[in-house]
Amino acid sequence: MIYVENLRKEFKKTVKEPGLKGSIKSLFYPKSEKVVAVKDISFEVPEGEVLGFIGPNGAGKSTVIKMLTGILTPTSGVCTINGRNPRENRKSYVKEIGVVFGQRTQLWWDLPLRETYGVLKEIYEVPEDKYKKRMAFLNEVLDLESFITSPVRTLSLGQRMRADIAASLIHSPKVLFLDEPTIGLDVVVKDNIRNAIEYINKEEKTTVVLTTHDLADIELLAKRIVMIDKGSNVFDGSISELKNRYGQIRELHFDTDTKNAEKILSYGQHFNFEPEDLSVECEGSQMKVRFNSSVVPVSEMLSYTLGKISVNDISVKDADIEEIIRRLYKQGVE
Amino acid sequence: MRKKLRIYVPFINAGMQETTTYRVNWLFYMFGNVLGCFISYFIWNAVYNSSENSTMNGFTMPQMIVYIFLMFLTSTLVSSGGTYDIGEEIRDGSIAMRLIKPISYNATFLFQELGNKAMTICILIVPMVVGVEIVRFNFTGAVQFNILYFLLYLVSCVLAYLINFFFNICFGFIAFVIKYLWGANLMKNCIVGFLSGQTIPLAFMPEVLEKVFLILPFASLNYTPVMIYIGMYNGTTLLYFLGLQVFWALFFWGLSKLLWSVSVKYLAVQGG
Ligand SMILES: Nc1ncnc2c1ncn2[C@@H]1O[C@H](COP(=O)(O)OP(=O)(O)O)[C@@H](O)[C@H]1O
Ligand SMILES: [Mg+2]
Repeated sequence: MIYVENLRKEFKKTVKEPGLKGSIKSLFYPKSEKVVAVKDISFEVPEGEVLGFIGPNGAGKSTVIKMLTGILTPTSGVCTINGRNPRENRKSYVKEIGVVFGQRTQLWWDLPLRETYGVLKEIYEVPEDKYKKRMAFLNEVLDLESFITSPVRTLSLGQRMRADIAASLIHSPKVLFLDEPTIGLDVVVKDNIRNAIEYINKEEKTTVVLTTHDLADIELLAKRIVMIDKGSNVFDGSISELKNRYGQIRELHFDTDTKNAEKILSYGQHFNFEPEDLSVECEGSQMKVRFNSSVVPVSEMLSYTLGKISVNDISVKDADIEEIIRRLYKQGVE
Repeated sequence: MRKKLRIYVPFINAGMQETTTYRVNWLFYMFGNVLGCFISYFIWNAVYNSSENSTMNGFTMPQMIVYIFLMFLTSTLVSSGGTYDIGEEIRDGSIAMRLIKPISYNATFLFQELGNKAMTICILIVPMVVGVEIVRFNFTGAVQFNILYFLLYLVSCVLAYLINFFFNICFGFIAFVIKYLWGANLMKNCIVGFLSGQTIPLAFMPEVLEKVFLILPFASLNYTPVMIYIGMYNGTTLLYFLGLQVFWALFFWGLSKLLWSVSVKYLAVQGG
């Protein structure tokens, strides 16, 4: 469905020397430098899949989405959606896709929401009866009723985001691109939006590419993850693969009466952990120890801890995906 | 074709909503224009009073007054903010939101602006035309209003608007190159104001310059409609100038299409 190979995007950035002199100079001798926003990215998304497209800030996610949606031309490389090149025949291509950029709106600022949808109906040439059904459906999953007569500029962020997502779905697109659709939203709205995405993916087999910094989005929605950093692929696979590959991290939680437990235990020195394989957090009598269980097995950690201090309560946890990704972001490419 | 146009009707609506939402903005804008109009009225008044001749370059004082006010009406009717809007959309990246819709980029601007203008046209045209005709009646003692000239004036205004719109779109694409064009826009407005006869009637220019200026597209913006209104152009002259307007409209339309297809490749959309 979506096919991306060796995609690359460079921007020219004009550099200006400081001061008035610099401004005048750059007017006549504009100096520019090359910024490589996307270096070399490849992945595929089969029809009907939800892909979690993640990476730290500035990794190049938005730039990739812009190339996939035909807003930007790649410097080199291939991207096709349904066998089509987004840059060819723009008007007919964008009829097949839906796009939401969480950081800006595609709604007309001054129009009441209902009229905006009316505009979109005309633009996408949705027949009247289909449109009615669609609106009823979107209303149900995104709960638009309470603010559908308000002008867009008066909506809250959560309302606007729901409205934007509805706008991207009016024409029943085959592919949906969501760039940070849950940014800055409260838990309830996030839930709302996740449910809507899940529902649409299930019911209509819509292919979804989703970028987000909220890993709960990923865990709940995406079967597969593509992670990029500094414009290159870092990981491509399922969430369980990610956990297997990087998920030797365990979390030890315990409650202790011993004072200075952290000092007494000194895991780092005792076991010779590398800094990235261990982290210890201490809050009152609660301690949280994250460690790499391929360096020191869980059983050894447990018996060492229990032997050193007095423990009231103890539990061992699997690493959550968030922790894995935090480690990956820190390390960059392995 | 009808169906195609229907897609853009909502943009007219959106434009009208915009003006009504920002009424105060609009009032200030109009007030500024009216003020400018009266300033040039007083300047020309002083010029004529200190001059010994009652006619200057074929313009009598009352004709000059009519010229000034018609110039004001015309330039307001045919004004177009395309340059600024495109520049702004490129700068803040919201141009992307137009690109992800299956619609013609230029046409959305055109229709939105027509919606914007609807209010201006309704409010301005009747009092201005009545005012101008009263002035003309006062000085000549006869009704000068000519429905044919008036209709041709409207046709000429539509052509002038299209020229201006597409010219501004072309200019706006410079934003793809320099990314910030407030200063360039200001300069352009000055030059266009001068070359289109807005500041001084082109008849006041040395003959050679006048001939050149009349062929340039800028005269087609304001000068031609005004000259038609006051009945300066007749017969073949009139057809010639209307033809020239059609030519320039088509020229800039084609150029804007070309520039669009070239510059969209270099488009760098800013922001997340
Ligand atoms: N129009 C542009 N001009 C210059 N550099 C840009 C432009 N757009 C993005 N970049 C750069 O490209 C990199 C990737 O940006 P982006 O795709 O927005 O990252 P992400 O969405 O993953 O946070 C950043 O370093 C950013 O500064
Ligand atoms: Mg981004």
